[in-house]
Amino acid sequence: MAVLTTSRSQPFKRTGLSFAGRQALWGYLLALPVLLLVLGLVAYPFFYAIYISFTNRVVGNPGEWIGFDNFRYLANSPSFTRSIRNTITLVLVSDVAKLFIGLGLALLVNQQFRGRGLFRSLIMVPWAMPGFIAFLTWRVLYQPIGGGINLILTETGIHSGVIDWLGQKSTAMPAVIIASVWRGFPFWFISFLAALQAVQPDLYEAARVDGANAWRRFWTVTFPAIRPVILVTTLLSSIWTANSFENIWLLTAGGPSDATMVFPVLAYFGMQTQRLGEAAAVSVAMIPVLAILVIVVTSMMQEDE
Amino acid sequence: MATALPANRRRREGSLRRTKFLTLAGTYLALTVIVVVVAFPLYWMVVTSLKLPREIYRLPSLWPNVFTGNNYRTLIEEKDFLANIKNSLIVASCVTTISLVISSFAAYSLVRFKYRFKGVLGRVILFAYLTPTSLLFIPLSIIIARLNLGNSLQGLILVYLTFSLPLSTWLLQGYFRGVPRELEEQAMVDGSTRMGALFKILLPLSAPGLAAVAVFTFTGAWNELLLALILIKSESDRTVPLGINYLITSDVLPWGTLMAGAVLSSLPVIVLYFLAQRFMVQGMTSGSVKG
Repeated sequence: MAVLTTSRSQPFKRTGLSFAGRQALWGYLLALPVLLLVLGLVAYPFFYAIYISFTNRVVGNPGEWIGFDNFRYLANSPSFTRSIRNTITLVLVSDVAKLFIGLGLALLVNQQFRGRGLFRSLIMVPWAMPGFIAFLTWRVLYQPIGGGINLILTETGIHSGVIDWLGQKSTAMPAVIIASVWRGFPFWFISFLAALQAVQPDLYEAARVDGANAWRRFWTVTFPAIRPVILVTTLLSSIWTANSFENIWLLTAGGPSDATMVFPVLAYFGMQTQRLGEAAAVSVAMIPVLAILVIVVTSMMQEDE
Repeated sequence: MATALPANRRRREGSLRRTKFLTLAGTYLALTVIVVVVAFPLYWMVVTSLKLPREIYRLPSLWPNVFTGNNYRTLIEEKDFLANIKNSLIVASCVTTISLVISSFAAYSLVRFKYRFKGVLGRVILFAYLTPTSLLFIPLSIIIARLNLGNSLQGLILVYLTFSLPLSTWLLQGYFRGVPRELEEQAMVDGSTRMGALFKILLPLSAPGLAAVAVFTFTGAWNELLLALILIKSESDRTVPLGINYLITSDVLPWGTLMAGAVLSSLPVIVLYFLAQRFMVQGMTSGSVKG
């Protein structure tokens, strides 16, 4: 740092600022555009959303403060309680599936073999393609007639007959989860693969010399080394899955009869009925859980810098 | 003993080789299964886009009897899909350019300058990155309407900065940290200014990082559906996800046309990904990019 003080700074001398002062000024100036836009487009709307959720605002009328009425209304709304249950199911089941698939594949691809780079690239495709296309394609696959899933089941003789995967209550949620896992697992895979490649090879060698078998080597060397990455990936993915709109919107729009309703879609429907106070309350009710996840994950992400 | 030893070892090596072979075979088998699972939906997308309606709805088959380009023709001639592509290109390139420029400044500030509240600033950006759109879309729609930017591509560009700026600042910080500070200091000793050091040393050396961030912001804007759904009302301003979304709202779902749109809108993104993947994997895992 000291080097910077040595040379030319004639234009600044006149301002009478110390080196540290000048540095701070430049620091603030450079960060200012991003800071202003983030405050205006994220922080302000965030608190504004909280405010709206305590009003009976509708489109065209700002409304007035009504305290917790919107939240009381939601607590008694079957769609809302249903959407909480669905969100929890969606997040938990798809997290577990993505963890096992992602970790298993990362361990496989972490070995030395021919065609490794090619497999890695191919595995990433569901993540690389646009999300709305991925879910739209799955909607076609799930069609009772003309969909690929029913066709495969009939052709292979596993199940003949038409199943309306997205149209009946019992299969809609599993179908949504499968599509979401398909879209999301590459992110887990690539995070785990990068973490595995950072593990010191001599640790494995030492464990091998000590006579540890593959299973023991995984639990004594691999797992402790990648545990922080597993945690961060799980938390990030949970935040994104819990807040994802397009998967449900494009597959089922929350149906049939709320079987796959989640709160982003519920908030969107609320907005379409023009009752902004209630619609905002749907998302705002999620803030406490979201805040805990975000605070934990940000402290972990900043730690490893 | 003397004769037993080599035989013994040969047997051990043989079993070792057998285990190795089995592991390898198992690896290829598992990976092939996964590749099929990954590829089948894509295959179905492409094949459906090339089928005639009767083969989509009445006689579904894994391989179409007749290939047709009709779906693509309908999409482009009747649905004006090229206008959607043009809008998406405008929005995505503006968002990418703006984000790259001002996020580079912010990341430079966060990585190389010392001042109070720097830690707070870094945290605010990370919080902003993790604040989901589902929480912001209602107030954003009110704010954009108040700014008289409702139903316009400019408004869309502005709100897309909500996710692109925090992401690019966060990622660029990581890339900038990887460039040794001494190079800039040397340039400044040689008479370069602070900003000169940014433009002549740091940015060129972070070129792969900039490319990766550009791909992330571009595809992020190209793929966005929820905010576009809320802000854009007129048909002429529809972006690609919106154009495709409004194909669904008709009574009979035109799967052939929809899948033609799916093929056309994923191609640029997948090509970009394959071109830049070397740089992107690093950024993705260090910065954790939303999927």
